[in-house]
Amino acid sequence: MSFYDSILAGISLVGNVDAFLSLFIGIVVGVIGGAIPGLSATMAVALTLPFTFPMQPINGILLLLGVYKGGIFGGSIPAILIKTPGTPASSATILDGYPLAEKGQAGKALGMALWASCTADVVSNLSLILFAGWLASFALNFGPPEFFALIFFSLTIIAGVSGDSLLRGTLSAVAGLILATVGLDLVYGTNRFTFGDSNLMGGLNFIAVLIGLFAIPEVIAMAWDPTGHLGKARSLGKSWVTFREYKDSFFSIIRGSIIGVILGSIPGIGAAPSAFLSYSEARRTSKNKENFGKGEIEGVAAAEAGNNGVAGATLIPLLALGVPGDVITAIIIGAFMIHGLQPGPMMFVLNVDIIYGLFIGLIVSSVMLFAVGSVAIRAFRYVADVPKRILMPAVLVLCIYGVFAVNNNMFDVGVMFAMGWLGYLMVRTRIPAAPFLIAFILGPLLEDNFRQSMLMSGGDVSVFVRGPITWAFWTFSIIALFAIYKSIRNAKTA
Amino acid sequence: MNKFVKLLTVSLGLTASAAYADYPERPINMVIPYGAGGATDISARTIAEPLGNAVGRPLVMANVTGAGGATGSVAVQNAKADGYTMLFARVGSHSVNPAMKATLPYTLDDFRFVTVYEINPAACAVAPDSGINSMDDLVAKVAEGGVTYSSSGVGSFLHIAAVMVLDSFGVENPLEQATHIPQKGGGAAATAVLNGTATFLCTNSSSIASFVANGQLKPLMVTTAEPVVGFDAPTANELGKPELNQLVGWTGIAGPAGLPDDVAAKWGDWMAEATKDAAFLEKMTSRGSVIELMDPESANEFIRGQYNKFRSLVDRLGMRIEG
Repeated sequence: MSFYDSILAGISLVGNVDAFLSLFIGIVVGVIGGAIPGLSATMAVALTLPFTFPMQPINGILLLLGVYKGGIFGGSIPAILIKTPGTPASSATILDGYPLAEKGQAGKALGMALWASCTADVVSNLSLILFAGWLASFALNFGPPEFFALIFFSLTIIAGVSGDSLLRGTLSAVAGLILATVGLDLVYGTNRFTFGDSNLMGGLNFIAVLIGLFAIPEVIAMAWDPTGHLGKARSLGKSWVTFREYKDSFFSIIRGSIIGVILGSIPGIGAAPSAFLSYSEARRTSKNKENFGKGEIEGVAAAEAGNNGVAGATLIPLLALGVPGDVITAIIIGAFMIHGLQPGPMMFVLNVDIIYGLFIGLIVSSVMLFAVGSVAIRAFRYVADVPKRILMPAVLVLCIYGVFAVNNNMFDVGVMFAMGWLGYLMVRTRIPAAPFLIAFILGPLLEDNFRQSMLMSGGDVSVFVRGPITWAFWTFSIIALFAIYKSIRNAKTA
Repeated sequence: MNKFVKLLTVSLGLTASAAYADYPERPINMVIPYGAGGATDISARTIAEPLGNAVGRPLVMANVTGAGGATGSVAVQNAKADGYTMLFARVGSHSVNPAMKATLPYTLDDFRFVTVYEINPAACAVAPDSGINSMDDLVAKVAEGGVTYSSSGVGSFLHIAAVMVLDSFGVENPLEQATHIPQKGGGAAATAVLNGTATFLCTNSSSIASFVANGQLKPLMVTTAEPVVGFDAPTANELGKPELNQLVGWTGIAGPAGLPDDVAAKWGDWMAEATKDAAFLEKMTSRGSVIELMDPESANEFIRGQYNKFRSLVDRLGMRIEG
């Protein structure tokens, strides 16, 4: 079958109202699900999965992809408006999005988030369609040693999101690393810091930690000082993102998209580290470096490009190798299996109509995301106008529901509140929360891949420099560490 | 006073048994101890529809994940034994983990199994470019040293499967002669063999069926007596290892230990009805599962049998995790 025939077969499969309607409904559900604190894109996809069982395979998969993409964008809405990431991937969006909202420029931040998300989405989808085979074979070169080098490099992000004090950032990261060790030891299967409580055997729930760290401190601060915020401008205002601002951030958006594509095509990393990496790269090279963390529009653009760049790319290992790239695609692969489809190289031969149908659907999804996102921003703008004393209790209720729903477990709600007090303490002592979160995500990956590498090589450390990929990441790490050292020295002399 | 207490106890007892006669009066909570989209989740949600019809009340499906199925299992262990909180039990959470982990917060005695409805044949596979073409090749390679196997974690079915296979093929000390490289989840375990991190894995045939169909993995053996469709590999019996027939995955349903007899009996009837559903059968078998319905007694016997087999292997090799 020629390329032309394949496209025709794809069009005939998705060229009907049902397919596009599924995609559209998916995006709407995703944006709303992502926008509810605690519900997260992963939850939204998991909840949608059973609905796809009776559907046509292509429609079901398009529905889930819609929820996925919508959810990753939707998460930025509460991140900007109420400092609560709707989904872990949008944690990096808080860093500059929320300060912008505080300045009364929420509309601008939301607009930029949408522009950046859709641009990254297009880049990501095109990469999937054009380079899937090549990127998949690249991703397959990632064994534990390569992962270890990549994660080591990614930890240098901490310096970029530490704010004024690297010491405080490091303190925060260390706390994150320690809490991430709770649970079962990967290699020996023994309990670590579980204190005999079976609830701790699975480790601290990521969503509970995330919500606790970002949303709850805001609620506590509000309860502490109910009138402190009065008099500050906090409406969406007339500020809208201008084409000029988009153009100025364009380079960061494209770079973020590429970071997203690369990290997305490597199974096992996910969207949150990509968003942080994209953000810290943008900060490192920006003219407005000083303004990052204080409400820099380019920061929002970079973070959102970083996380949406992942969304299409996680399908690369899924379709080309049959390996799920992250938690969400692990759920989506279930939808393939339900319908007796086996993702992998043979799918490009046996089900070429579905593959091309998916590609067409993905391209359309970027446009739909833009349309749905524009409407969503206009609908959610009123959230910015709601008085904080009404908004915050509502946020608290949503957070409790959301965190409970992740695992149907009250213990997680307790974790959320404990982390909330820790987060509040950190706000009061000006310790940034972002390094904590990065360490919490990356710490276990770093440890597991280190130990897997050691098992592979029988304890020989030379495995960490076994190939060009590891060399590249070690070089990046050295450059990044040198840059951090220089900036510390400059800060001292200044 | 004493009389009153007696009276109260008797009357409570009466209402209790009367309540079970009407069981179920309200929706039943079904806990899935593994994540959405995984083998247990898909199996549970496929049976949910015909089972819900048989029960006549809604089944509320909830994923409670973590710690290799332990978190969800504990949630049901601690629930009231009234038949309104039931668990989708799985080979990993209810025969491998109890056999391997000393500090697990539950044992098999904390549950009453009402059915096992699905059996998953297991298969061992390597990467096609590994130069390993048969189990004999693999065993020879183990003797040379440097062979590794991946699993979805310590105490998972994949973990014990690889050890048990090596053990039955005469590898003297599988724990020392081959290295276990645990991964996070079954997908990562298969990827580890694809990209050369590990030499082989033994897992449910359905979870690697697509890799085998795509030529990304080469199967060496299936553990069932009958060949598995799509797996061009000898059966354990053909290789003279019929004892490996016990090495299969399964999904069943369990309640807390004190589950009343009539409730268990009702589940037996419902499952008999639900597993006759043509759509259910078609979906499950197309994924490589074997539908084999066991009533409460035989389910219990089957799970105990597998547990004892695993437990004796674990004790003999010193694999028990005490920490």
